[in-house]
Amino acid sequence: MSVEEVLARLFSQFPKADKAAAAVRDYPTVQLKEPSDLVPAVQLLKEEFGFAYLDMVTAVDWKGPVDMRGYLQEPNPNIFRPSGAPPRESAKPAPGLARDAMTVVYALSSLSEGLKIFLKIDVPREGAKLPSLTGLFNSADWQEREAFDLLGISFEGHPNLKKILTPDFLEGHPLRKDYVHVKDRFDVSNPPDDVGSIRPNLRRLGDLDA
Amino acid sequence: MKTAAPPTRSSLKTDQLFVNLGPQHPSTHGVLRVGLTIEGEVIVKAEPDIGFLHRGVEKLAEIRTYAQEVVLSDRLDYCSAMTNNLAYCLAVERLIGAQAPPRADALRVIHCELNRIASHLILLGTYGIDIGAFTPFLHAFREREMVLDLFEMSSGARLTYNYIRIGGVMRDASADWAAKAREFLAYFKPRLDDYDELLSYNPIFLDRTKGVGVIPAKKAVSWGLSGPNLRASGVAYDVRKCEPHCGYEKYPFKIVLGHAGDCFDRYHCRVREMREAVKIISAALDGLPEGEVLAKVPKVLKPAPGEAYAHVEGSRGDLGVYVVSDGTASPYRLHVRAPSFVNLAILQELFVGQRIADAIAILGSLDIVLGEVDR
Repeated sequence: MSVEEVLARLFSQFPKADKAAAAVRDYPTVQLKEPSDLVPAVQLLKEEFGFAYLDMVTAVDWKGPVDMRGYLQEPNPNIFRPSGAPPRESAKPAPGLARDAMTVVYALSSLSEGLKIFLKIDVPREGAKLPSLTGLFNSADWQEREAFDLLGISFEGHPNLKKILTPDFLEGHPLRKDYVHVKDRFDVSNPPDDVGSIRPNLRRLGDLDA
Repeated sequence: MKTAAPPTRSSLKTDQLFVNLGPQHPSTHGVLRVGLTIEGEVIVKAEPDIGFLHRGVEKLAEIRTYAQEVVLSDRLDYCSAMTNNLAYCLAVERLIGAQAPPRADALRVIHCELNRIASHLILLGTYGIDIGAFTPFLHAFREREMVLDLFEMSSGARLTYNYIRIGGVMRDASADWAAKAREFLAYFKPRLDDYDELLSYNPIFLDRTKGVGVIPAKKAVSWGLSGPNLRASGVAYDVRKCEPHCGYEKYPFKIVLGHAGDCFDRYHCRVREMREAVKIISAALDGLPEGEVLAKVPKVLKPAPGEAYAHVEGSRGDLGVYVVSDGTASPYRLHVRAPSFVNLAILQELFVGQRIADAIAILGSLDIVLGEVDR
């Protein structure tokens, strides 16, 4: 079984699928067009070609340069610049990349043949959703939760789709390019005015010392 | 005399109990919380709760230059920072089309395999402690210290090395260093037999680990396990063999396999992997080519728009880095496929039906590092 055979079969069964314009270097990369094609395509790869190992699920937000207000600290992370220096401008990305979409990337492996194939599928940024692969691979469970948490993609049919890495009080999806950090009580350098919620604990510790 | 009938099972009222394991539990090796629901001694539900160490490395990467990211990658799996450096640098090298010189490749292999030894020694020591054997810990950390001394000589750091750079390694290893490394190997090889005598074939240890937490091969593949956890279930998948990087195809070593997929196999695969690592390092030291150790790569990289993926066999499994460039000096998107994160997901299924006393043995045998789980 060669990669060409797998791709030929995939393209014949899913005429809308094509080789991705932006391929992952050195790996076969397939761009799927319809979200409804995702599960059948993965099923075909898994059952007929032995791609039984889901390596990776992640996504890329194509909104454009990252918003500097998404960072906890002063937007300028360069310690060699004087404090109070104007924040660094976001570098301009190459023209033609920014668009109002996200690309979800799946990496599938065939352990017996040592092959790896990347599947890509575009979803709109607003109300991004895709069918879940948890029915086919258990490893999709946490990786889809991670993509949900950090990028805000909902995977329909996931049995336990909830936040996994960020704390419950965090609003928004940090890896979206337009994410803006909302101050919370854990911001040490620049706490919000209302820190009442942690004060009582501090006082209680002080009492113990006295 | 009239006696009451002994209570039957149906007349006993049982209750489920919620037990909170972690986040500050010595055997969680970091800050992992697992909400356990137990019925008597048996776990009926386990909910791992992670994210306590989430530093947003992938987000931080988006405003730093490519070279600055190597430092961040050190902080992912801090027990095995060399392989993290390597995975990231290979991904960027693939993106810009650079190739490390042969001597740098050999030095990368030597350092990664030394780091594998150091990392597996941590497992050996702490897993013993988890089970209740204190002595192996002292032996393991004595030897690990020697590896760290070698790293200190070559990179200047003991834990977060930043030694492997985009295009090669930071600096050359001297002949003196190579001699010290050989000295260590000569000392270390017989120690491996000591570990087997001290811990691996200790009857109490065997009782606690044999047949506990069994993962059949099919389940291991479905959950995406990698590294020794997968190989302990008998699946021969090793990135060093199936997609050799840095010239791993030149070195003589075999894939270490288990067959039962229980805690003991997962533990012992690692011990036997250290033997293979010793073989690789000796071969690499013998055939160390002369020459440059760093390819000519610009200090500030601006790769053409595109994306690349590279993966290596880290100490904990298949460590992949996916990097997207938009033509600027910072990566547009960086994603780390962390083996510990994927390996840990099986916990919610693996714990169910096990006794609570075995929970720690199972968790320890998966050998996770929370820095990498939470990123």
